[in-house]
Order: sequence, then C-alpha cells, then structure tokens
Amino acid sequence: MLGPLKAQRKVLSAVAASTLIEAGFDSSYDTALETLVEILQSIIVEIGNSSRAYCELAGRTEPLFADVLLALVNLGLHISDLERFAKRANSIVIPAPTTSVPAKQLGILQAGVKPSHPSHIPAHLPVFPDPHAYIRTPTHKQPVTEYEAIREKSAIQKRDIERALNKFETKINDTDSLFLSPDTIFPVIACKPTFPPYLVALLPKDQVFELEDDDSSKSPQRKKGKDCIKEEDDNAKADVDSIDNPYLRPVKLPPPKIKIKDLMTPS
Amino acid sequence: MSIPGTSANHANGQDTKPTITMSAGQMVSNQSSSIGGQQLIDFLPSLEDYTPTIPDAVTGSFLNSAGFASTDPRVVRLISLAAQKFLSDVANDALQHCKVRTSNQSSKSKSKDRTYTLTMDDLTPALAEHGITVRKPPYFV
Repeated sequence: MLGPLKAQRKVLSAVAASTLIEAGFDSSYDTALETLVEILQSIIVEIGNSSRAYCELAGRTEPLFADVLLALVNLGLHISDLERFAKRANSIVIPAPTTSVPAKQLGILQAGVKPSHPSHIPAHLPVFPDPHAYIRTPTHKQPVTEYEAIREKSAIQKRDIERALNKFETKINDTDSLFLSPDTIFPVIACKPTFPPYLVALLPKDQVFELEDDDSSKSPQRKKGKDCIKEEDDNAKADVDSIDNPYLRPVKLPPPKIKIKDLMTPS
Repeated sequence: MSIPGTSANHANGQDTKPTITMSAGQMVSNQSSSIGGQQLIDFLPSLEDYTPTIPDAVTGSFLNSAGFASTDPRVVRLISLAAQKFLSDVANDALQHCKVRTSNQSSKSKSKDRTYTLTMDDLTPALAEHGITVRKPPYFV
C-alpha cells in the first residue's frame, strides 16, 4: 500500500519520463529523473503558493485565472507559448491514479460475554472489552497433592529406576540364562563367585543392624527432596499412614513362638 | 523525498523577458495590453475539454498542500500545463546538451541510430539556464 505522496510522486515520475520521451530521449539515469520529479513537484507547489499569495493580496479566498497568470509571469514562465505547447501533436496522457478502496473491516470475533458497568461507572463510558483481555486464568495444572497419587507416582518411579538399573547391569556385566539356549529376553545377572564363598560372611564390615529403622528414616528424606510442602504433614502422619496406606504391606508379625514346653508336655 | 543540492529558486526574479510587465489590476481590467495574456484568455475556454499529461487529481493534491484550493478545473489544468511546459523546456535543452556532448565525445564512432540517455551532466547546465542550481550531492547514503 503506497502512501498518497508516494503514489503522487510515482505519477509525477511517469509524467517526467513521458516528457523526456517526447523530447527525444531514449533513457535516463535515476538521479536525473528524480531531479526532474523534484522540480516538477516543487514548481507545482510554488505556482500554487504564489497564486494563493496573489489571490489573498487581492482579498479573495479562491484563486482566479488572473492570479495564476500573475504567478506564472512572476516565476518567469513564458505564458505565450502555452497554447502552442498544449496543441502539440504527440502528447501523452497519464491516466489518473485510481482511488484505493479501503479494505473491508472484518467482523470482530466476539469472545465471551461483556459484563455490564458497575453502578459507580456512568453509562456513557465505553463498555468493557472482551473478558479474555483482562481476566486472568491459570495456565498450569494444579500440582497433585493427594497422598495416594504421590505415593503411586513414587512407587512407579522407584520401580522404573530398579528396572533401568537391572537392565544396565545386564548390559555391562555377564548374564546367565534361565533356559538351556542362550536368550536375551530374560537375562539374569550372573553371580560372581568369590573364591572362598564363605569369606564374605566371615569378614567384619559396617553393618546396619536396624534395617527396618533405617528404611523408615530414609523414606521421609526422599520425600523431602520431592515435595517440601508435604514434609511436615508426612512426618506427622507417618504412623497413621503406615496403617491406611494401600501401598505398604501390613506389618507381618512373627509367628507366635511355639513353646517347647508345651510340646514336651504331653497333653 | 528531497534531493540534496537541488535548489529551485523560481521566485528569485527569473523573469528575464522584458516585454511582459503586468500586474493583477492590469490583468483584470486591461487585458488587451498584453499579448500573451490575451492569447491565454482566448485559450481558456479550450482548457475545458483538454486533458493535460499530469492528472488533475495529482496537481490538485499538490496545490492543496500549498494552500491553493480552486473549484475551477481549468485553473488546475493551466497549472499542470505550465509545469509540464517548464519540464519540457528543460528536457529539450538537456537534449541539445546531450547531442553536443556526445558528438564532441565520440565523433569517430558516429552511428546513425544513437540512443540518448539523460544524465546529470546534461541536466545540470540545462537547469542552470532556467535558474536552478543543481549541485552534486556530496555523498550518497
């Protein structure tokens, strides 16, 4: 889309080019043509300016023919040749620039329902914009805080980690096969025999005796990393959860000791 | 857009013709005193159905930018005609310069079908004759 001035200058450059062709030129440099366009534009504006000045000097508002003639004479243009020039043979007529039709405004998509003014806003003020322009809606999902879901997620994660570790071990270490033929579907991590197999049992090492205790103290620590918000709650509920949590096995009590005395004594 | 170095000083007394001396009063009341004016007055009705090269809308728009608002299309057409006449004079002068320059320059390779190209070297002296000084722009951006 050209601006009005640019479109007008385009027409003027066509006029200048046609004038050059009439004069007998075949081609022109851009600089020269631009100079001619500039001169053409400034001479039109100057004639208009000068004519207006003469017309206003005479106390009129609309310029007459005489004002224009006077302006032309004052500019030093030879008015006597104008008629001859107008009646020359090969005059080129540039078509008038077409007026551009403004593009049809597309219908604005109505989104939502515009609320009416509150009571303290006068009715003549503009209506509210579409609600989507100012209403704030959260764009992220609310994090899951349900205990069961979190536990399930953590269990899945733990299982995945174990599975991945197993797979990794089978990749880098030797594997045994469960079946006679070598298979890669169900690999089993090969057991590495140490020379005296009982040596491990004999060697003293740092041992965690209270395995159960250690496990229970580890679990809240892992949870601490995952979501800190729930930490307090979890510690408080630890006892309760161990009971009504479906993912924890119930505590298996050791079978009641069979009293040897009872066996011994014949009933 | 403006070309640096182009100064059009039309209003600076470029009237070198001594025969045309008239004022607005003379123009209106005593038209027969000037031959050119009388011719133009006779020519005026024929402007009614004359189409100048410059479209009326373009000329009218530039005139409006100068504060000139006329309802008479003949006046606008007269201005278009005068402006184009000026341009045509300049172009004719430039063509003469071009012919002289090329004939001096390449007299040995004189071909019959020579093409004329308007350059600033031709345009500058032609414009100088009409009182317009075109200086070479110091640099191009």
